[in-house]
Amino acid sequence: MDLSRLDRRIIFLLMGLAIAIPMLFNVTLPVNVEKDTLAVYDKIEMIEESEYVMVSFDFEASSFPEMRPLAVAILNHLFERNIKVIGLALFSEGTALGFTTISDIAEKHGKKYGIDYIYLGFRPQYISAILGMGESIARVFPEDYLKKQWQEYPLFSGLENYDNAGLVISVSDGSLPIHWAEYANARYGVEIGVACAAVMVTAFKPYFNSGQLIGPVAGVKGAAEYEKLLGRQGAAQRRLFTQSSAHILIIVLVLGANLAAYMRRKR
Amino acid sequence: MSPETLVAAVFTLAIFSFLYRENPIYRAAEHILVGISVGYYLVILVEETILSKVVNPLFYDGRMLSLIPAILGIMMFSRLSRKSGWLARIPLAVLIGAGAGVSIPAMLQARILKQMSASMLPLNSIGAVVMLVGVISSLAYFYFSREKSGLFGGVARVGTYFLMVFFGATFGYTVMSRVTLLIGRMEFLMSDFLGLVK
Amino acid sequence: MKTRLPIAVCFVFGLFTLFQYFTADPTLESIYKEILDWMQIIFVFTLLVGVVSLAKIHSEKLIKKRTDWPYSILTILGIVVMAFLGFAYGTDWGTPFLWIFMNIQVPMQSTMFALLAFYVASAAYRGFRFRNREASVLLITALIVMMGRIPLGHMISDIIPGTAEWIIDHPSVAAKRGILIGIGLGSITTALRVILGIERSYLGGKGA
Repeated sequence: MDLSRLDRRIIFLLMGLAIAIPMLFNVTLPVNVEKDTLAVYDKIEMIEESEYVMVSFDFEASSFPEMRPLAVAILNHLFERNIKVIGLALFSEGTALGFTTISDIAEKHGKKYGIDYIYLGFRPQYISAILGMGESIARVFPEDYLKKQWQEYPLFSGLENYDNAGLVISVSDGSLPIHWAEYANARYGVEIGVACAAVMVTAFKPYFNSGQLIGPVAGVKGAAEYEKLLGRQGAAQRRLFTQSSAHILIIVLVLGANLAAYMRRKR
Repeated sequence: MSPETLVAAVFTLAIFSFLYRENPIYRAAEHILVGISVGYYLVILVEETILSKVVNPLFYDGRMLSLIPAILGIMMFSRLSRKSGWLARIPLAVLIGAGAGVSIPAMLQARILKQMSASMLPLNSIGAVVMLVGVISSLAYFYFSREKSGLFGGVARVGTYFLMVFFGATFGYTVMSRVTLLIGRMEFLMSDFLGLVK
Repeated sequence: MKTRLPIAVCFVFGLFTLFQYFTADPTLESIYKEILDWMQIIFVFTLLVGVVSLAKIHSEKLIKKRTDWPYSILTILGIVVMAFLGFAYGTDWGTPFLWIFMNIQVPMQSTMFALLAFYVASAAYRGFRFRNREASVLLITALIVMMGRIPLGHMISDIIPGTAEWIIDHPSVAAKRGILIGIGLGSITTALRVILGIERSYLGGKGA
């Protein structure tokens, strides 16, 4: 049998097993908190209770399993610190996902809509939406997701534009943080924290390096690190053992296929 | 088992069935997904934007200026007709023109100047040297107006190695993301649906 | 008229939004805000055109009984049901609209992407070979990052995650920066060409 040319269904089966088997064992691996995750955490720690933080749910349903632990970790931190949260979405599917996630976490912290948080909803054409909020949030979002005049909530009436926001956090599976950096940070000077899908890290890195973005809390590992910082056992930490198993399978497959191909050539 | 779990599990398994081969169950699920997604999109667009940005200002606040983008927007529908399709060019020109105008300073400031200044660090560490060499050589690789030979060709060739490092790192992270999604779905099946994992 | 008018519109709007960046005039600022609003509204309509177009394609397929037409019934049904539920009962907690979204659309869509984990594994197994120096650099980087981003990497040696981090923070950033600056310069040139009416591909068809 040529080990460098296995049927793809065998690979699929191995992949399925590499995930299913470790899941049966409740193993939690130690997590080392890295500087990127710490950067977002520290930034939120520095924000005062009276300030607003905008959380933009910039992701699609397709990546919800990866994005939810990230969003939950960030929201837990914000609500624990009693910071007023303004949710919004620049991707249509993020609208309902953001609303369910923020409502769910707020309820767990005993937070009330209109007092501790609001959810503005969705705006398309993210460039004009990001630029527009720099001028006037109320103009971009005259009503919130629940069709209410959100400015009538006394605690949010002072929210005009990014000048009132201590931080914007983009929870994203795509390129939105780059647009936040290029249009909100560059033009209005607001700081942008990022919690993103692991797949986007290398694309965003130059912006973190240059100080245009803060973070990122990235992927399941970033979420697990954040959970550790908060002292909460969450979904991400549990997943790391399974994640490790799948990574090792792929590494073994690649190295094995190369070795088998080398042996075949030698013969 | 709750109806939510059962429904989600049935559709999850229908999609997973594609791993064996394409089949009618998968195709049916795929078509349902397209329909639901489009329906969702339609509702969110109308409820979230058309109502609050067009209908309310026009009919409740009497803000007649909103009529202009509304008319421009409606003109987009001319794309569906062969005869008057050109009308859609006007709203498109507004979008593209305004988009181009706002993008120039943003690109210049945030993408070029900031990125360039962040690359030019004091050359007192290996990292700083690698950064400068990497940026210059990968830029050289993408400069197609000159033949890649001699010193320039050598620099561009160094650029390919930097690009390979970038693609390799991106692949590593892509694996991480995709595996996380699979874990999410498998967790649902094994825990919520089958009850095998607590 | 069919070509000149859009080019003129594009020129006026492009020049205005570009010029406005450099001024603090309140009148110009209020016009700028108005334009940002317009962009959102027009964009929503372009998306709606896409929705109508897709519904039209499936309706035609159904009416003319083209290949696989029964599947189109499901798509149309999906659109109609979601639209009805969303408009009739709203999108708040506990509505049937949100129920379908959370229990059908989200699981299916994320499963679609989860399938990619299998294909990524299969593609890596088939395609990743130490063929030449470039391919070897790519492969070694990928392996280090994959190992360095899981706790096991830390458990074996701190060198693995340390190397992964250094790679991501330096050579990888350098290459991406090269790409970004290149794209940035290209985008500015294209934007200027669009505003000046030299680049007309967005007009499509004849006259472009």
